[in-house]
Amino acid sequence: MRVTNKIVFDSFMRDINRNRTQMAEIQSSLSSAKAVRFPSQDPVSFQRSRAIEEDIRESEQFQDNINSGLLQSRLAQDALDTSIDDLIEIKRILVQSSSDTYSAEDRSNMADQISGIRDSLIATLNLSYGDRYLFAGTNSGTEPFTLDATATGGVADTSNANALQVAIDNNVNIDISITGAEIRNTDEGDFFEIIQNIENALRNNDGDALNSLLDGADELIDNTTDATSRLGNNIARMEYMYEQYENTKVTQNSEISKLVDTDYAEAISDLQQNQTIYESAMAVHTRMFNNSLLNYI
Amino acid sequence: MKTLFEISKSGLAGAQRSLSVTSNNIVNADTEGYTRQRVDRTPVGYNSAYGNVGLGVNISTANRLRNEMNDQLTNQNRQDLGSMTYKNQVFERLQAAMTTDSGGDLDVRISSFFDSFSDLANNPQDMSVRNSLLTEAQQLSSKLNNLDQHLVETGDLIAQSTATTISDVNTLLAEIYELNTSITRSTSMGTMDSASLDLRVQKLEELSGLVDFTQMTADSGATEIRIGGVRVLDEEKLLPIKSEYNPNEQQLFLRISGGTMIDVSGGELGAQIDMYENDIPDLKAKLDLIASTIVSEVNAIHQSGFGLNDATPRAFFDPTGVSAGSISVNPDLLANPENIAASTVSGEAGNGSLAAQINDLRENGIVNGRKLIDFTIEAISKPGAQIFTLSSQIETKEAEIAMLQTQQERQAGVNIDEELANMIQFQNSYQGAARVMQTATELYDTLLSIV
Repeated sequence: MRVTNKIVFDSFMRDINRNRTQMAEIQSSLSSAKAVRFPSQDPVSFQRSRAIEEDIRESEQFQDNINSGLLQSRLAQDALDTSIDDLIEIKRILVQSSSDTYSAEDRSNMADQISGIRDSLIATLNLSYGDRYLFAGTNSGTEPFTLDATATGGVADTSNANALQVAIDNNVNIDISITGAEIRNTDEGDFFEIIQNIENALRNNDGDALNSLLDGADELIDNTTDATSRLGNNIARMEYMYEQYENTKVTQNSEISKLVDTDYAEAISDLQQNQTIYESAMAVHTRMFNNSLLNYI
Repeated sequence: MKTLFEISKSGLAGAQRSLSVTSNNIVNADTEGYTRQRVDRTPVGYNSAYGNVGLGVNISTANRLRNEMNDQLTNQNRQDLGSMTYKNQVFERLQAAMTTDSGGDLDVRISSFFDSFSDLANNPQDMSVRNSLLTEAQQLSSKLNNLDQHLVETGDLIAQSTATTISDVNTLLAEIYELNTSITRSTSMGTMDSASLDLRVQKLEELSGLVDFTQMTADSGATEIRIGGVRVLDEEKLLPIKSEYNPNEQQLFLRISGGTMIDVSGGELGAQIDMYENDIPDLKAKLDLIASTIVSEVNAIHQSGFGLNDATPRAFFDPTGVSAGSISVNPDLLANPENIAASTVSGEAGNGSLAAQINDLRENGIVNGRKLIDFTIEAISKPGAQIFTLSSQIETKEAEIAMLQTQQERQAGVNIDEELANMIQFQNSYQGAARVMQTATELYDTLLSIV
């Protein structure tokens, strides 16, 4: 077989070029920590990793939703806790007043106390987060509870029955507050009406009426406590979901890493192998290229 | 005795000729397309009464040691390689525009856009959330606009560069035509114009990178070239190629000067036409589908909802812009972010369920039954996937060409050691012939000294 100088030289150049290309790939993968930076390097892994990145972004968005939801529902929960304290105070006054030892004047003072507590209850339940009223249902742009002598229980209400919600999963929404209606509709009648009845009974110095309102006062506390614990359940569920997403993210991130990140051990051993090949190619070539008949004539 | 002079004279001439061919081989060892030459020498003699008497050496022409078949095979492979290399380059540019490793690609833009709707669902009354949704929507629109613009520009650039390619092809054809003339002339005179033959090999090689053609060599030595089955060059005539370019229909036609349309599928020119007519419009169609789906799906839901101010149904995206190049956010919303509809019920400020419905679109198979984001990821990875396939094909083709070239080189290439050895050999034969002449002279001197 005839081997010309050009054959030797061309094949040397081809090998060196291939070696250079591989070196560049290894260098890029080591210096960027990514083996797949562009779809041309491995279209399947690239697309798969981008799809998982989208899943992660979705999870993170749900986590954002949950964070926003948790903040609002904890505020609502605090407000309800404050209300329960107020309601317990109402009951204490009622129990105290129902004994016949109190005069009409004492009871009138107590009525003033009740009226004050009602005002503070209204203020508490008009809680807002930014410009969003948390107990107004989705009609949250308007302050829900206002004093109005003509309305039921003396308190007008613009809230609606649709609770505020956040999305915590695909097509899964969770209530982050309770509605005005849930607070007001107790088994013993309207929330503010019961309070109004207590106040009126005190002003009228009506001992029998006061006695009959004891159940109502209990129901106020029970109903609000129920609502608080429902909200507490939702808070617990949101916290649980948050952790779930956190766990899924760990798995998803490691999956992406497997698809596109550099395997350092492999890359470095490739690098060493390539270097050896490169050096020997150079050594062989320089030695072989000097072999010529010219050296002998 | 007189024949001694004749014999040595022919020996000297033969050695000189051989030496000059060898020297020419040595200095052209690295010349592209050069073919090694050999001097053919035959003994001369006559039959006399005393049997056959040698009269020296005869020099026939120098031979070219080249395999024409191999050249044609290599050129066919070069046509494929030229096409694939060109496509690879264009796809690399498209890939750089569509996917980066620094984030902010179309898939991320789409998902941030939906994330903003999810934020809006959490907090429909917050103006900063509404404003950031508008910013995301504008970024998504401008990303689509930019990608579309990039594709259109790339398409135009390709269409324009066909003009350069065609003029290169025409120049090469004209050069080959000239070479044909000079080759046929020397063939008819019974000699061989090896310089022109080598040059023609070189030109055909260049031509094969640009366009696919078939080639035949006539007895006269002229090469006939057909592109797409149509004869564009032979011994008698040369027909230059012209292009017609229709930007509205995304079509490119090639005609020869007679008017016949020709169909080019290989080489750089074939790749340019294919990219312009098929690959670029395909990618553009994918982007358009993404844009039109976003516009129609988001608008359909958005129009059924209510903003903070009034009960007027509004489109989210300008409904007239349903392609990637024209998608834009409805200016009514930009003017007043309160017009963004988040609520399913009029007047409910805290109702974000409409915004949540829009966010749910990302999970639905709204593009040909597939999730928008999956379709998008596939679309923006398309150039990369093409490069992936092409680069392995290119590697195979290059290996094939290298193998063919090595085969040709074995026959036609110059081995300097071999030529040097020949040089010594011819030098010796020159010295031998000279010695014969010297001997003959001495013989004459001997005879003359007797007188």
